[in-house]
Amino acid sequence: MLFNRLLPSLALPRHAALTRRAMASADPQTTRLDFLVIGGGSGGLAGARRASELGASAAVIESHRLGGTCVNVGCVPKKVMWNAAVHAEYLHDHSDYGFEVESVRFSWEALKAKRDAYISHLNRIYRNNLDKAKVQNIQGHARFTNDPEPTVEVDGRKYTAPHILIATGGQPTVLSDADIPGGNLGITSDGFFELETLPKRTVIVGAGYIAVEMAGILSTLGSKTSMIIRQSGVLRNFDSFLSTNCTKELQNSGVDLWKNSQVTSVRKTEKGLEVTVVTKDQEKKNDEEKTSTIQEVDCLLWAIGRQPNTSGLNVAAMGLEMDERGHIVVDEFQNTSRPGIYAVGDVCGKALLTPVAIAAGRKLAHRLFEDKNDSKLDYSCIPTVVFSHPPIGTVGLTEEEAIRSRGKENVKVYKTSFTPMYHAITSRKSQCIMKLVCEGKEEKVVGLHMQGLGCDEMLQGFAVAIKMGATKADFDKTVAIHPTSSEEFVTMR
Amino acid sequence: MALSLIPPLTDGPISYQAIYQPAQTGSFHNNNMAALCRGRHRWKRTNCLHVLTRNLSGIYDYDLVVIGGGSGGLACSKEAARLGQKAAVLDYVEPSVKGTKWGLGGTCVNVGCIPKKLMHQAALLGTAVKDARKYGWQISGPICHDWATMAEAIQNHVRSLNWGHRVQLQDKKVKYLNVKGSLVDEHTVRGLTKAGKEMILTAKNIVIATGGRPNYPIGIPGAKEHGITSDDIFWLKKEMVLSSTRRGSDVALECAGFLTGIGLDTTVMVRSIALRGFDQQMAGLITDYMATYGTKFLWKSVPKSVDKLSSGALQVTWTDTRTGDEHKDTYDSVLWAVGRAPETKALGLDQLGVRLKKETGKILLGSDESTSVPNIFAFGDIGEGRPELTPTAVKAGKLLARRLAGLSAELMNYDNVPTTVFTPLEYACVGLSEEDAEERHGKDGIEVYHAFYKPLEFIVAERDASQCYLKVVCARGGEQKILGLHFTGPNAGEVAQGFAMGFQCGATYSHLLQTVGIHPTCAEEVVKVNITKRSGLDPAVTGC
Repeated sequence: MLFNRLLPSLALPRHAALTRRAMASADPQTTRLDFLVIGGGSGGLAGARRASELGASAAVIESHRLGGTCVNVGCVPKKVMWNAAVHAEYLHDHSDYGFEVESVRFSWEALKAKRDAYISHLNRIYRNNLDKAKVQNIQGHARFTNDPEPTVEVDGRKYTAPHILIATGGQPTVLSDADIPGGNLGITSDGFFELETLPKRTVIVGAGYIAVEMAGILSTLGSKTSMIIRQSGVLRNFDSFLSTNCTKELQNSGVDLWKNSQVTSVRKTEKGLEVTVVTKDQEKKNDEEKTSTIQEVDCLLWAIGRQPNTSGLNVAAMGLEMDERGHIVVDEFQNTSRPGIYAVGDVCGKALLTPVAIAAGRKLAHRLFEDKNDSKLDYSCIPTVVFSHPPIGTVGLTEEEAIRSRGKENVKVYKTSFTPMYHAITSRKSQCIMKLVCEGKEEKVVGLHMQGLGCDEMLQGFAVAIKMGATKADFDKTVAIHPTSSEEFVTMR
Repeated sequence: MALSLIPPLTDGPISYQAIYQPAQTGSFHNNNMAALCRGRHRWKRTNCLHVLTRNLSGIYDYDLVVIGGGSGGLACSKEAARLGQKAAVLDYVEPSVKGTKWGLGGTCVNVGCIPKKLMHQAALLGTAVKDARKYGWQISGPICHDWATMAEAIQNHVRSLNWGHRVQLQDKKVKYLNVKGSLVDEHTVRGLTKAGKEMILTAKNIVIATGGRPNYPIGIPGAKEHGITSDDIFWLKKEMVLSSTRRGSDVALECAGFLTGIGLDTTVMVRSIALRGFDQQMAGLITDYMATYGTKFLWKSVPKSVDKLSSGALQVTWTDTRTGDEHKDTYDSVLWAVGRAPETKALGLDQLGVRLKKETGKILLGSDESTSVPNIFAFGDIGEGRPELTPTAVKAGKLLARRLAGLSAELMNYDNVPTTVFTPLEYACVGLSEEDAEERHGKDGIEVYHAFYKPLEFIVAERDASQCYLKVVCARGGEQKILGLHFTGPNAGEVAQGFAMGFQCGATYSHLLQTVGIHPTCAEEVVKVNITKRSGLDPAVTGC
């Protein structure tokens, strides 16, 4: 804050090139750019490339592999694993469809090798894309210096720019021995992608979407999987229709669900980990606390949340406003509390999704380097898919949120559930459930929630229509595509 | 007027009829009805109308008789009954040339969409099992497909749907008659049972929804004796180790696709172009994909004859129109997919003067599905210029029932109809083809955004994604309104429905851009598309 006041002239220079010339003589040791991006993940790369396309000199600082969480330890490898698990389900259905498939065995090793090769390939593509876009790639850890002008140091070299973007993302929350005895014997989703073999016995702690996805993948691929959740259902911030159904689907698919439970300690034994779990239904006052242990666990996976990556960055030197969980606070234009410093993506703690970070990074670049002063990302109606079994798609408000904001009398809900035609001739069944949340007399659709086969690919188009302000009548007017599951949305009564 | 405004009456569906019927009989009753809904003395007045309308509708046996128990006919009759009309539906399946017959529900349920999609699913599983190996699934031994197992499961499912339709008709109080219907006059239908028993039904309105049946080619010796059509393929009990000749319609490509997918050696003969009427760039991608998938194509070829050899195999002779050369090859089965013809022959339309389109034999219809004869309506596949699609028939049927019940004036909108072709690489579209858009708006009047994308599921499976493509055809000026949207790839049908709705709402290119993508999916490529054809830039998507 102090620096801020001392250097009023540095605040948001209008012409980047001009600034560069004016300051070129100030410190010859410092590399000057128009746009300096800390973090080579989805948001940072997109922002830097777009800035460069718009004529700015840009650099991206990354200490690990390019691509960030999404490419290396998130969406992409996760979906590869999910696809492998979907094949397990298909294999189950093959005989119903007339295929004779003899003995089947799954090789985690073969899959991991291919997955790793693909990720490396993507890392190379990202590098090439940076080169093509003439964005400088600086390898190493970034740290803000105490120079009067916002400056970043990487391996002893200093860089500065009138516009600095923090896009360092986040990482899974880890538990230390201080939190839970033996807590560090567990891994996180990062560790999941390093597993060299399929664990025989898995315990996953957490009820969020990462826990649900990991449990689905491991269980379907053949690991005996237990899930420890604190309350009675998973995905508790989703519409209760989905939360309830997803909890049921997990149990139906053979995941051993421990409700109202918490891990109290973890111990290493000769035969694997021993996880101690305490179960107590908070709702029932007289319910006694029960302590149990799960033996011979190969893999304990903490999926209890994510936290922003700011350690080592010395953000304190910049005096940026942070929230209580350490996220960098930004306004709707991605401005931090300090002029000339911006943040996008997971480090801001809002809508932790690759396409959100990409869009926010690009919008920012247009604002800074194309003088599009009102360029910003609209954070409403962001569609999200959870790659559970079957997948979940959701956009907009939950029924509970809509009722809270508009009152029960102004909210109308349409629901349906059916068995997708794919399962017409299979012995394995799964339901498809769908829900529309509508508001007001005109029945504007403010929320769409679904779980079922194909819901992952169904959502995008509906998200466009909902963003456009579609009403229930618009759904009714649309001609169905037959035979699909998505047609149920336009034929709902 | 909404159904919920009216207090429920105790004497069954007929009382709904009592409420709704007056709307049709003149403005006096209409006004009365409006007052009635607002007024305090609803009971008394309703009862009074009740008597009145009974007398009016008492002239005929039914308010509505629908000939044809397919998707459209069922939807129309059920909607009519729901609105309190006395409705009957007549359905009778004339066996195919090969003797195949089936139950209630029409083409879609028995010999169309449903069994086709299930066989398509079987084929996708055939591909999936190959992919599974790349995903680390070690499968020992060869993978065989047994037609009988698949066919039996599908046929059982179809029978359960036949039964379901009958139950629904009963529940909704629609009279179902398994008789062949024909027209006597504008209020009378003659029904003929299988045993030859005749019955006469009178109705205020008659709706024809008899759909169509596949054609056989004319003038090709052996075509009928030795060939089958889509009416037969789904009901074959025995595996056909098969190859077939047909033309490049969507039916042909869909059938060839699933046959190839379950491991049968399949050839498609195409006289001119594949998927006429569809965007031809997309049609090219679909057939290219099928060719790499293993389906053989004989382009620009015209069949001459089909002969049965002593071995039982079928010898097909054809001419390559490019060279004029004659070729011969033997196949186990020959399936004709050379278009469909309307089922009008047995209806007696000519005596009544119902006008048909000469070239197609289909019924000429007004926008309200009216024929040239009062009180006779028609819709679905039998209507001239109407899309041959289940959902349009269903929707048109429901709207027609509402109009005939005097409850609505809403017409079916046949624009913006999305459709999906379930070829091995699925294709879905809504709106104009690029050719049509160019014709209507000029080459300079449109902007085409396109992308070749790589589905993540293809990558580990090492599948060739060179035909996974999408394009958004927009008006060039102003807001860049979307004129057409085309997509090939896995789950195209599921992807397209939502976009079809956006399209229906008048989406522009910027609406796509304003929507945040869903990562990693194939559908997100539609909202990420940013390369125009005009720019000449490489439309291949790289990275996330």
